[in-house]
Amino acid sequence: MMKNDSAGRFRTDIVIGSVLIVAAIIIPFVFPTRYVIGQLTIFFLWATVVSQWNLVFGVAGIFSLAQMAIFAMGGYVAGMLSLYLGWPLWISMFFGGFASVLFSVLIGFACLRLRGAYVALLTLAIAQTMYLLIITDTACFMRTGVTCRNFTGGTRGLAQFGDFGFRELLPYKYMAFGNYFIGLVVLIFAVAFSIFVIRSPIGLAFRALRDNQTCAEVRGISKFKYQLLIFSSSAFFTGLAGAVYAGHFRVMGANTLYLNLLLFLLSMLIIGGVGRVWGPILGAAALMLVDEVLKEFVNWRLAGLGLILVVFIVLLPKGLAGYIEDIFQRGRKNKATVGQDE
Amino acid sequence: MLSVSNISAGYGGRPVVRDASLEISKGSLVTIIGPNGHGKTTLLRCISGIIGVDSGSVSFDGVRIDGLRVDEVVQLGVVHIPQGDMLFPEMTVDENLLMGGYLINSDSQVDQRRGQVLDLFPKLGERKDQIANTLSGGERRMLAIGRGLMTGAKILLMDEPSLGLAPVVIEQIFESIRTLNKEGQTILLVEENVSRAINLSDHIYLLDEGQITWDGSGDELSKNDQLMEVYLGI
Amino acid sequence: MDSLTQIVASGLTVGAMYAVSTVALSLVWGALNVLNMGQGAMLAVGGYIAYTAVTAFGLPIPIAIVAAAGVGALVGAVLYFLVVKLMIGKDGFETNVIIATFGFALILENLVLRLYGAYPLRQPIGLDGGWHIGAVHVPYQNILLVLVSAVLMTVVAYALKSTRTGRAIRATAQNRGATELMGVRVSKIFLQVLMIGGGLAAISGIMLSTITTLAPTMGYDPMLKAFIICVIAGLGNIYGALIASFVLGLFEVSVQFLFGVRFGFPALLLLVISALIWKPFGVFGRRKTDRL
Repeated sequence: MMKNDSAGRFRTDIVIGSVLIVAAIIIPFVFPTRYVIGQLTIFFLWATVVSQWNLVFGVAGIFSLAQMAIFAMGGYVAGMLSLYLGWPLWISMFFGGFASVLFSVLIGFACLRLRGAYVALLTLAIAQTMYLLIITDTACFMRTGVTCRNFTGGTRGLAQFGDFGFRELLPYKYMAFGNYFIGLVVLIFAVAFSIFVIRSPIGLAFRALRDNQTCAEVRGISKFKYQLLIFSSSAFFTGLAGAVYAGHFRVMGANTLYLNLLLFLLSMLIIGGVGRVWGPILGAAALMLVDEVLKEFVNWRLAGLGLILVVFIVLLPKGLAGYIEDIFQRGRKNKATVGQDE
Repeated sequence: MLSVSNISAGYGGRPVVRDASLEISKGSLVTIIGPNGHGKTTLLRCISGIIGVDSGSVSFDGVRIDGLRVDEVVQLGVVHIPQGDMLFPEMTVDENLLMGGYLINSDSQVDQRRGQVLDLFPKLGERKDQIANTLSGGERRMLAIGRGLMTGAKILLMDEPSLGLAPVVIEQIFESIRTLNKEGQTILLVEENVSRAINLSDHIYLLDEGQITWDGSGDELSKNDQLMEVYLGI
Repeated sequence: MDSLTQIVASGLTVGAMYAVSTVALSLVWGALNVLNMGQGAMLAVGGYIAYTAVTAFGLPIPIAIVAAAGVGALVGAVLYFLVVKLMIGKDGFETNVIIATFGFALILENLVLRLYGAYPLRQPIGLDGGWHIGAVHVPYQNILLVLVSAVLMTVVAYALKSTRTGRAIRATAQNRGATELMGVRVSKIFLQVLMIGGGLAAISGIMLSTITTLAPTMGYDPMLKAFIICVIAGLGNIYGALIASFVLGLFEVSVQFLFGVRFGFPALLLLVISALIWKPFGVFGRRKTDRL
């Protein structure tokens, strides 16, 4: 019974995914404005981050607030490798991903054995530490002509590390398409990974852990090991997204560590629906649209965001994906009660 | 005084208590016996308001109390002394007792009542400033009961006061319970040991599979060979 | 010797400020299981209200402080009614409430931003001049802060220990169910704790703003530090939080003095992580058992 249901859901995922991919491929040709393509590229990156955050928080139950620190680590390492060692960004971006994995393993060992609220605090503190260390970086690391550069770029940010090279490769009209498709490809792999985790036995093991930790542990499922596994593997995609961000904007700054941005992405996660496969995409899309609207009311952007967050977490905790899934469940003939995402 | 009429209740949709009814008159000591896991604790929780009843009603002194908040029920004089004591682990014995006196407005009345509790349980007086989670099992039980008494309860609901205690200590506890009842305290007791229930109670209810299957006096129970065989193997 | 005096003086001042907000956080966590991420914003609100009371309304400073504390308590009440009350008892409360209070903080920050602008302001509350110990200049302001903190903390400690409500708050933190069985209306306790926490946060904010400046995001960094201190002490342990505030204040200042200001926060973090690896429930914390 359960296997059939899992297979059915997987098929649905493939269908939804395919439709979205086709749409994503077509859109830039239909709306070739720089602005739209740029915004969509950013959407892909944020959706990637949120999709991995969804695994970390929604599936593995780790309340990590260090996701942007991991993102930034990927971007900074990629940028630094390109800047200081001259590597092309195409290669250093993967090393950015690896660096993020290493970073997340460290964080994991420090934090994962602790209670939920403690994890949130510590990961937040780690992100804040990274931020502080970057913006107080004033020591001279490298001389370029007359000016002095700090190691991390300090408050001005890390720059001059090159990009993905589309300026030279593509005609002017299609220049932005390059980064767009890189972002898309990263997102596709990230979402595929998350579908794999959620629909696989690992996902099931986590649901067991979440529902009754002590029982599951008695049966030999080590919470720490599994959590570390998800935390670190998801960090690869998060870090990769960071590297693409660096390549897209051609600068990597500590502004990626701003609390407001963290909360913006957290909102995407919550509103989309925690633990749901398509939650991150829905949430990211919804919030970027809301943000477009709120740009008119730029003075109340923060409050608007805060309000949405509070409303959703208090009143609509299942998120958009959750409620949409509920509607489809009611429509289905087979009412499967086992194996559902909670 | 306390009237439970046809209540059904359970957890998560599964009924644990079905259609149970009890009457407790003022000054009496009533015991609920029955196999473990068949709803005795649940029944007490329905009376004190910790869980809600799905159907039926609970009345105290003519006032309906089902549906009220736990603290409202306590304010009416129905005091539940829970299984496992639920003491305030990091407070002293004295502070635990003072918490029992939370609802009392006058300091002198608090002192007076505390004096009465310490008369009943002198051991607690000796350990007045000791932290609660360093007490022995018997002392904890005494503190839990003493704390409940501080509220000036009109009726005490005691959930398995003998649980986890050595026989000698159990005797002391039940001696105290007997004394309280002689002084006029109404008590509803949940107890596992049938012979103790027979010795102690004015009236006994048998809760089996969530239903009241028998009630009567201790005498009647001991003369009922069939039941005695089932529950005591006699 | 002069360096030592400097470190001790600064460390105690910093510790004093942390103590007030750390105790507020610890109270709220202990009684409600809520990690109030709105604390930082409430700090800022306190500072700004005091500022307005003095500059716009010309109120004397003690009244301004009381007014700010009052507003802080009010904000705590709003937080209770609009957020906490609706969420308590539900699944995942412990983590969801963190997100909700974060959202609440954003709304507060936006309000402050709209009312006062982003440009840092100077808090007109404070003493000038100072005391000279050797070659070290210890501002009277700092001494005042330490005194205020000591008085405030003594009052809070006394209230918790010896008043009926204080006892009920401690009881709620130790065993919520049992507290109800004593006839205590626990939801009232929650409200009171959030209001007390709000008032204390406001005062902490005023204290902080007299040493630094008033800015909408001023509370974020101190809030994180206060949380870290709480975590080391064991969330919910008020006396531990008090001690840890001063110890860690001194530690932070020492590190900053020896290695540079930028290493203060990272050093704190490393210390906390090490402490937690050693004692996962905090140095003074207690293990909460899982009921199956």
